[in-house]
Amino acid sequence: MGRRMARRLLAPLAAALLGAFSVAHADSALFTPPAPGTYELPPIQHVADYELLDPHGARVRLLGLAPGQVALVSFVYQRCTDGSACPAALATWKRVDEALAARPALARHVRLVTVSFDPANDTPERMAELARHLRPRGDWRFLTAPNEAELRPVLADYGQDVLPLVGAGGERLGLLQHLTKAFLVDEHGDVRGIYGSGFLSAQILLNDAQTVLAAESAARPRTAASR
Amino acid sequence: MWERLVLFALLFFCLAPPTLADEPCQSPYLPKVTGQEDFVYVFTLGVEGMGDGSDKLVTVGANPSRPDYGKVVSSVSVGGRHEVHHGGFTDDRRELWMGGLDDSAIFVFDVATDPAKPKLVKTITTFTKDSGGVVGPHTFYALPGRMLISGLSNAKDDGGKTALVEYSNQGKFVRTIWMPEAAPYGYDVRVSANLNRMVTSSFTGRANYMRKLPELMGDAEAMKRFGNTMVVWDYHARKPLQTFAVPGAPLEIRWALAPQHYYAFSSSALTSKLWGVFRKDDGTFEALEIAPIGDPLKGPLPVDISLSTDDHFLFVDSFMDGTARVFDVSQPRAPVLVLEQKIGSQLNMVSQSWDGKRLYFTSSLLSNWDKTGADDEQFLKAFNWDGKTLAPAFAIDFKAAKLGRPHQMNFGSVDFYRGRVAARPSPASPEDVPRVAEGG
Repeated sequence: MGRRMARRLLAPLAAALLGAFSVAHADSALFTPPAPGTYELPPIQHVADYELLDPHGARVRLLGLAPGQVALVSFVYQRCTDGSACPAALATWKRVDEALAARPALARHVRLVTVSFDPANDTPERMAELARHLRPRGDWRFLTAPNEAELRPVLADYGQDVLPLVGAGGERLGLLQHLTKAFLVDEHGDVRGIYGSGFLSAQILLNDAQTVLAAESAARPRTAASR
Repeated sequence: MWERLVLFALLFFCLAPPTLADEPCQSPYLPKVTGQEDFVYVFTLGVEGMGDGSDKLVTVGANPSRPDYGKVVSSVSVGGRHEVHHGGFTDDRRELWMGGLDDSAIFVFDVATDPAKPKLVKTITTFTKDSGGVVGPHTFYALPGRMLISGLSNAKDDGGKTALVEYSNQGKFVRTIWMPEAAPYGYDVRVSANLNRMVTSSFTGRANYMRKLPELMGDAEAMKRFGNTMVVWDYHARKPLQTFAVPGAPLEIRWALAPQHYYAFSSSALTSKLWGVFRKDDGTFEALEIAPIGDPLKGPLPVDISLSTDDHFLFVDSFMDGTARVFDVSQPRAPVLVLEQKIGSQLNMVSQSWDGKRLYFTSSLLSNWDKTGADDEQFLKAFNWDGKTLAPAFAIDFKAAKLGRPHQMNFGSVDFYRGRVAARPSPASPEDVPRVAEGG
């Protein structure tokens, strides 16, 4: 691997590590997140389950959830230079992955998904490289699309905006204007939480996942009885 | 290795493109216009016999480098009069929602395709039915993928009992959260994501706000039916935590923006007081009356406030005397009045640019509360602020232009929708990353 390529690959990871570092070194707690199950997360929108490419180039479902599972989905791109955006999302997903590794009973029900919205640059090979650097300990998918055309309906469905940044002369700068969003999706494809990357919290994500899992579990017997 | 990674990341941060942040009071989840705004979007009430008589979204040029500076660029009528009042952008800033207080219609404009000419793309007519009886959608506050809307009233009795309502960005109803029994009135809603706290204020129901003002003020019983409370909520759980007695209809809420400034301001319309809601060391809040606004005995009726991004200046508009007052709130518990300036015969909304250099004022409060005769001026006036004086920049007479009664304003930017600026939410430093107690 060339030195230039290595730098391109390591840049977002370094940024992600910085993001994780800043969060981990917060000096005081400003609030305690509400406990799981003490609040409601009604469906916000429904999303379809799209086919994308895994790091081997094989087609897989973005969600592919079994009953009793939820997915935490974040959209990123590896060239992102905004520390509060994609690197922060990757750092937070890493923290959630670490937390789930310590709680295997919960980890069986939670799938982490990182989807690139820059398929031209974030090829399956580059997503594989990202996965190797982040060393997932649990069920964490790294996905990309074959091309922009196949990605477009995914972004539209989730409401993830992406626009190429251009210079004064209209030339593309190689960066993307975006709000990095993350989503909590239940087994039915209903989005139960949407998060802005500037305010991501691993603890809130875990609590929300548990809240939805508990609500779905409670609803399941009633659904069966009503049939 | 660690040092090399960190150094590399820092270099990348330094090479990051310039970003737009925010106009002061917008949702922390919304990308902001920090540079020169190109347009001011003005929600305007229709007046019978004036132009087409319909409520509309009026776009005014605000960039001195553009040929449309100080002129009406476009106008979109929504058809009919709905008492349009407030609204807000979706979190991607691509759509602007506008609510009608009378019939609870919600109008959704696409401002991304052509920011100079917003297009009405959707009308939600089922707000009251969807929400289980909420009337009068007031504040539209962007959350990720959703719009949080505070109601003013209810369909059962047109009184002040009301709720918060959420819709997805696609316009699908999500949920209704009724105000607590001890504080049933609603008005504004603002979130501090870093604190996981949300604050609401309280006004009055449709039976009052759609009534002629002189008639209403002569009805002692009706005048008792105004809100006297503010509520602090657990934002993530959407559950009320504390209710404060704030007499006289506390209206707009503005959170301080600077790191470690854990407080918000409001003003009470009927008692003409500035209030502060301060976080205490134990994490709970207290609401304190911190200053009079003009002479409360003369009833100036403060209506809108705007806080500069450095939390230094608070602009306060009062309707009756048509005056803007500027308070130095660098000591937030002891505001100091530094300027009083009459803007017009009546005055309502104030919006300032992110850099605090430009202020925009409009005249209309509510269709049945505006003054009459010669005092019924209807304008948008732009001023430049240098920290000491408000200097006129341009003005548009909305009556002469046959547009109607201008009320709330939002800013538009061409570059944002052309990929010429990066989008990011408010937090700009690790200070702004939410700090939460981990565990569980």
